[in-house]
Amino acid sequence: MRPGSGAAIAVVAVALAFVVYCLVDLSRARVRNLPKWAWAPIICLTIPWGGILYLILGKDRTTPAVPDPAPPPDVTAGALGVHSSPAAPHIPRRIPAGPVQIDVDGLTKRFGPVTAVDDLSFAVRPGRVTGFLGPNGAGKSTTLRVILGLDAPTSGTALVGGRRYQEFIRPLHEVGSLLDATAVPAGRAAWSHLRAIAQSNGIGQRRVREVLELTGLETVASRRIGEFSLGMKQRLGIAAALLANPPVLLLDEPANGLDPEGIRWFRQLLQAMAAEGRTILVSSHLMSEMAQTADHLIIIGRGRLLADVATEQFVSGTSHDVLVQSPSAGELASLLTASGAVVAPENGGGLAVTGMNAAAVGDLAVSHGIAVHQLVTRHGSLEEAYLALTGASTDYRAGSPLPEVQTARAAR
Amino acid sequence: MTAPQLQAAKPAGTAGPAPSPLVRARDVLASEWTKLSSLRSNRWTLGAAAAVTLVLTAVVAASFAAAPHSGQRAAPVDRLATSFLAFAEYLVLPVTVLSVLVFTSEYASGLIRTTFTAVPQRRTVLAAKAAVTGAAALVIGEVLAFACFFLTQAILSGRHGGLSLAHPGAVRGVLAAGFVLAACALVGVGAGAVLRHTAGAIAAAVTVVYLLAVLCLVLPAPWNLRLGRFTLPFAAYAEVTAHPPAGLFSPWLSLLVLIAWPAAALLAAAVVLTRRDV
Repeated sequence: MRPGSGAAIAVVAVALAFVVYCLVDLSRARVRNLPKWAWAPIICLTIPWGGILYLILGKDRTTPAVPDPAPPPDVTAGALGVHSSPAAPHIPRRIPAGPVQIDVDGLTKRFGPVTAVDDLSFAVRPGRVTGFLGPNGAGKSTTLRVILGLDAPTSGTALVGGRRYQEFIRPLHEVGSLLDATAVPAGRAAWSHLRAIAQSNGIGQRRVREVLELTGLETVASRRIGEFSLGMKQRLGIAAALLANPPVLLLDEPANGLDPEGIRWFRQLLQAMAAEGRTILVSSHLMSEMAQTADHLIIIGRGRLLADVATEQFVSGTSHDVLVQSPSAGELASLLTASGAVVAPENGGGLAVTGMNAAAVGDLAVSHGIAVHQLVTRHGSLEEAYLALTGASTDYRAGSPLPEVQTARAAR
Repeated sequence: MTAPQLQAAKPAGTAGPAPSPLVRARDVLASEWTKLSSLRSNRWTLGAAAAVTLVLTAVVAASFAAAPHSGQRAAPVDRLATSFLAFAEYLVLPVTVLSVLVFTSEYASGLIRTTFTAVPQRRTVLAAKAAVTGAAALVIGEVLAFACFFLTQAILSGRHGGLSLAHPGAVRGVLAAGFVLAACALVGVGAGAVLRHTAGAIAAAVTVVYLLAVLCLVLPAPWNLRLGRFTLPFAAYAEVTAHPPAGLFSPWLSLLVLIAWPAAALLAAAVVLTRRDV
């Protein structure tokens, strides 16, 4: 028996008792005085109860799932980082025969005088994790909302697999999404929350249990979501996105609030799903995390496309230099400058050399008998490359914190 | 060695054929029913409202039973309408507020985006929410209307003689009282969907459910009933009174009024929901 059905049966029993009492009352009195039409509404009244009983007790239709292959070995649970679950469940995957691509074409979205997204075009291809980056207010969330059919574009299109999102009848089977992990009902249990989402797309209880186990939430499934930490809400949101095992995932800041173990688990999950041929678009502010997770980057600023490149290419395309430390730095600097390199003194001592690689710098030093204590090639980080690219297109920039601190102290 | 479990899984076909409209409707209804029934606060509020309604119905009936039977009293006790005094005061308001929250709580938490992402056909969501809330309110309303009726008649039976359901107009009155609750609930759902913010939507729903009638009461003589009969409380009174004052609509016309208000609210919601960004 399902939870809650006992209460439902009690309610219906009480209701039926009332009907019986009414009939007894009628039969005691002059039944002939009762207008004939009165019987019709009395009978009609029982229909809603039947409908609600059907909803509550109706048979669960689990989605037609792939027949389970052999259960996975136990080590996989550890590899997935699913803590507090001894054996991760096997999740049957359903990936459409053809790859699904997201196409955003000439997308513009205005909110009154504000242009949030300005003639934005890009494609998200299957089989890799695509990072979606941009400063606050760049239009990332708006773009995701338009793709999900929540906001109507002012002009342009956003198609998933060649179709508008609104055309999907059971969209969770096509696209899994997480827009805002805190947008959850505080008063509802995690189980009921996921169950309601699952029911709307014809997904059975078994699958709800599976995603709860996959995200490590099965022990707190009956607790109210209001008691959850941000990290647990993120896991809940990821669970909801994975409910129907979709070929496309759209995730807005999914790593916020996850602990390091959770981030690692999530990164592996995304990469494994991309390797299966899924299309994954993840927005994030955690640059180091993006550098490790994303294979491809789409960077926007002020609603316009700034870059659409492979992560490696983006990072390596940024400036890199050679740090060299030497007891006779002055002599080395003049030699390097004479050889055509650009030399700048470093704060911590040593020279930053550009225009010449580490081997050439070392050879030059040796040929002149100059001792070298350190010789390092330094690559720009994704963060630096990102800041260099978006520096001009930041809407909300923090002012220098120092004067504020001083005025705050002065006020005290 | 990254997540071999996921990679080991065999790719399969797509989500399968699109469901028939009937299956689709059942899915969304079941989802909305889960949302409505899984909130503990809903159950507590309704239970408390039902208990208060029954207790106060008994108090009202007892006070009428204790009143002087004959003499100066101009009008006899309306034994039918008396049954629903507490019902109209203490059950209609909480149910209306809970119905407003069906939409506004989702807008407040942001859950509405998840809802419309799972079911992009927004009118289907509106229809499902209205159907589930309306059906729940109808069942609760009918059960409590019958309970209030029998309770009142049992207490009145001592001095005035309680009515039986076979009394002319009694069945109609009891059934209509339950229907009024469903009508108010649907007004609440529509107001919540249109206005999105809890405070404003409650104010709008309470205006339709109570305040318009109060405003009409203070109008000069012929106009109070002429305009008032178009409001929900006057129409409800026309259904449940055994002695309708001249100027009110007939029970059948009043039923039309009781249907028109929620229909208008839901129609406005259907128009607005599909034209607005979430």
